Amino acid sequence: MLTERQLDALTAVFREGAQDASLACSRWVGRTAQIVVQRVEQLDMGDAVAVLGASEEPISACIMAIEGRLTGGLMLAFDDASGWALTDLLLELPPGSCSAWGELERSAVLETTNIVGCAYLNSLSRLLQRLGEPPELMPSPPQFARDYASAILQSVFLNQVMSSDTIFLTETRFHLDGTPANWNLLFVPDADSIPTLRRMLA
Amino acid sequence: MTAQQPGANSVTKPSLETTVKMGEIAVSRDGGLLRTLLGSCLGVVLYDRRWRAAAMAHIVLPESRGQQEHLGKFADTAIPEMIRRLGSLLGDHPLKLTAKIAGGANMFAVNSAAATIGQQNVSAVEKLLDERRILIIGRHVGGTQGRRMALDVATGIVTIDVVGATSTEL
Repeated sequence: MLTERQLDALTAVFREGAQDASLACSRWVGRTAQIVVQRVEQLDMGDAVAVLGASEEPISACIMAIEGRLTGGLMLAFDDASGWALTDLLLELPPGSCSAWGELERSAVLETTNIVGCAYLNSLSRLLQRLGEPPELMPSPPQFARDYASAILQSVFLNQVMSSDTIFLTETRFHLDGTPANWNLLFVPDADSIPTLRRMLA
Repeated sequence: MTAQQPGANSVTKPSLETTVKMGEIAVSRDGGLLRTLLGSCLGVVLYDRRWRAAAMAHIVLPESRGQQEHLGKFADTAIPEMIRRLGSLLGDHPLKLTAKIAGGANMFAVNSAAATIGQQNVSAVEKLLDERRILIIGRHVGGTQGRRMALDVATGIVTIDVVGATSTEL
């Protein structure tokens, strides 16, 4: 378990990572996007699956696996309406044009995850380098899933659950042109990466 | 009716819903609804039809490797604990149990360790139930999608919901 002070320090670290992701997202969607790290959390596994809100509601999510000095998962999650609104924005369609998860819609949100996720990881990579750690962080191509929020999160948390009853995660919110957007970016490191994160604070 | 913490042992009230979270076990008698959300995890229901008594576990991993803190989390500690709690619930009545299982999906592999855990959970529970001669009379396992599992304690009927599909009764 990390102390409150360590969690605060890590929150500051991840906020730095979110700045690059905000810039990349702004360029991609053509609007002012701000990605705000809410907090680095340590939650009981039973409560962690509710971190996105109603755990029985279907959500959509794009998930990237991370390999390298830090391993784990990075997930962009959103409700249907928010995902389709993003697609409308990217395809320059009138609001409400997209209303189903076809190939084009999936492709749009997967590419968004790729761009935002890679910017986030690049920033973390530079931070690792500054701290004398090997900077390699390699994301996998994102995968799309539409399912119960709780079911998706169980799979993302699985590695940590193998060695702990507590889930460590970084929760992030989006603002688009200053208005909150119902997207969440979750960074969930594997259990083996938590000692590395501790070292980053030393 | 509430999901119980490890070691807790309370009789539940009918006509209420209990959500069984990751790694938890709940028991109930006569009525009410036990429900859980499953991805790679496995939901296990043990049911005694004569006494309309049930236990539901949300199993996360197949083996405890000696851990005794969260009995519902592991197949090899959850199954004995479910039987123990049902025994406590029914007092001197001998148990005559059947099982229904759901979950164990392979939704996506964030890492290699996660890729096969769903199937490992299913295999572990099948073996543990077979060793105790508890027959599995309903199953809805595997695949790539999550499931909502709900048990009507009064009837023993388990309903499985999958996003984008019609409900299935076990």
